[in-house]
Amino acid sequence: MLNLEQVSFQYPGAKAGVSDVTLKVEPGELVAVIGASGSGKTTLLNLLAGFLMPDTGRVVIDDKDVSAMPPERRDLGIVFQSYGLFPHMRAWENVAYPLKVRGVALAERRTRAIEALERVGMGNRSDNGPRELSGGQQQRVALARALVFEPRGLLLDEPLSALDANLRVEMRDEILRVQRAAGIAALLVTHDQEEALSIADRVAVMRDGRLVQIAPPRELYDNPADEAIARFVGEANLWPSRVVGEGSIETPVGRLACDTKGHATGTKTIALVRPENVIPLGPDATGQVNAFAGEVMADRFLGSTRRIDLAVGEGTIRLETRIRDAIGGVAIPPDAIRLLSPSQQAN
Amino acid sequence: MLLVTVFYLIFLAAPILLLLMGSFGETWSNTLLPQGFTGRWYADIAADPSFRRAFITSLQVVAATCALNVIVGLPLAYAIHSAANRGVRFAARLAALMPVAAPELVLAFGFILVFSSDTLPWLGSFWLLVAAHLVLTLPYSVTTLLADMEQMRLADYEGVAASLGASFSQRARDIIVPLLGASLTSSLLTVAALSIGEFQISNLISGFLSRPYPVVLLQAFYGATGFACAATVVLLVLATVASIASSLTARATAGGRTA
Repeated sequence: MLNLEQVSFQYPGAKAGVSDVTLKVEPGELVAVIGASGSGKTTLLNLLAGFLMPDTGRVVIDDKDVSAMPPERRDLGIVFQSYGLFPHMRAWENVAYPLKVRGVALAERRTRAIEALERVGMGNRSDNGPRELSGGQQQRVALARALVFEPRGLLLDEPLSALDANLRVEMRDEILRVQRAAGIAALLVTHDQEEALSIADRVAVMRDGRLVQIAPPRELYDNPADEAIARFVGEANLWPSRVVGEGSIETPVGRLACDTKGHATGTKTIALVRPENVIPLGPDATGQVNAFAGEVMADRFLGSTRRIDLAVGEGTIRLETRIRDAIGGVAIPPDAIRLLSPSQQAN
Repeated sequence: MLLVTVFYLIFLAAPILLLLMGSFGETWSNTLLPQGFTGRWYADIAADPSFRRAFITSLQVVAATCALNVIVGLPLAYAIHSAANRGVRFAARLAALMPVAAPELVLAFGFILVFSSDTLPWLGSFWLLVAAHLVLTLPYSVTTLLADMEQMRLADYEGVAASLGASFSQRARDIIVPLLGASLTSSLLTVAALSIGEFQISNLISGFLSRPYPVVLLQAFYGATGFACAATVVLLVLATVASIASSLTARATAGGRTA
């Protein structure tokens, strides 16, 4: 179990760092940490890894306080963004290295290294040097190396960012499969929110060094804590709005019927509608709730879907649809509308 | 442009070629080129006890300077590279490079002043000569090692090794030294080339029995021209071999990084 308890850290002479972060990753669980550049997500990983020591708070691994321990004594497997395979060692020697430093005999460590390579589909490349391997293959070797010594936790620092799109999806599944098989706590740091949503059990969102929300992917996507998170996680229509009565809000695109429970009349809010929840209507459609006619400003073909920006009133409604016919208007189901508190960090 | 290049190359190569011809010439006085052919000048140098001693001293100084560059230069470069504070890194770098900026004559006078006193009466000793060569060559080895450490992202590899459980001594043995092997060889060959040819400071601080080859070479110019030429060619060959080997290993290091 990986545990950060009210951890704060500030880089000397800088404002950047993390502040009062509490985060627990259970055995077998994969938590992804996302956030913009400089939000503190890599600092969080470095604090867990032991490359940084917290100013206050505790880093606890399997109920043991490791806050002041150097990385070599924390027993965590780490997959780095650049893989970090030692260029003067062959693939199996790289994987065997953590066993070597633990005093495992040569024959045993070779056997275990080759078994670990086989688990990630690299058994036939064990004698190759890192320079003879592609990015994806190096990534697999790095993953095997991080797990071969049965660490207490796995830390993944943007492990897929250097791979091309197809390989990224393949490796994403591979990481998840291997982590699940190992049954250890894993923390994935990534700037790719799609990657985080697709493999994590829970997603933690960092902003300005603070952990602003942690939730399962679906909950985070459907019920973001504020406007900035909604903007950061997935595509979103976000309209400044005002509650004008029970079940009714005023937005730049017009008046919308929705659930306003918990918001008094006159309250300023942000209305969130995900583009895929907007229903496209034909030119002659009538009788729908929250139906609007508009002018198509942009129509992007994305393969399986289209992303359309429709000018309505004084605003724009973005929708994503599989329909390929002409669109004259849209309807927004009331239950697809979430009212969020405005966030000062939103831009 | 081509003409300028050709003239420049002639200007560069002519003295070396003349030295080479002179070293095999029987006589060379009042003529453009030497007369006759002989190998006796080389035989005379080999038979001359002062040249033999100087040659051996030079090799000993080079070996000791190289060894000390490893013992002092490698940890120094590593310490500068690992220093967390930028100010400390800059100051250490500046201090390490200082001997390059200071004229050798100034360094030599400093050595004479300090080591001719009754408290430190080491002027003229072999080890003081080695120390002077170390001061002169250290900036080159430290600079080469630092550049390679930064380019090969040594700190990243060390971090990876630490995360895998390697202690500092294990990291030094398995990661730092093997990764820096080619870089260290290249910088030591540069050190050797510099040390072999060093004259100014050696001439001022070496004793009669610890004179290195370039200092004794100066005497040759008071004798026969062929002897002086042959003695110079010997030094030239030694320095050239070290320089070429240094360039080749530096290229191999760079090639290894980019492959």
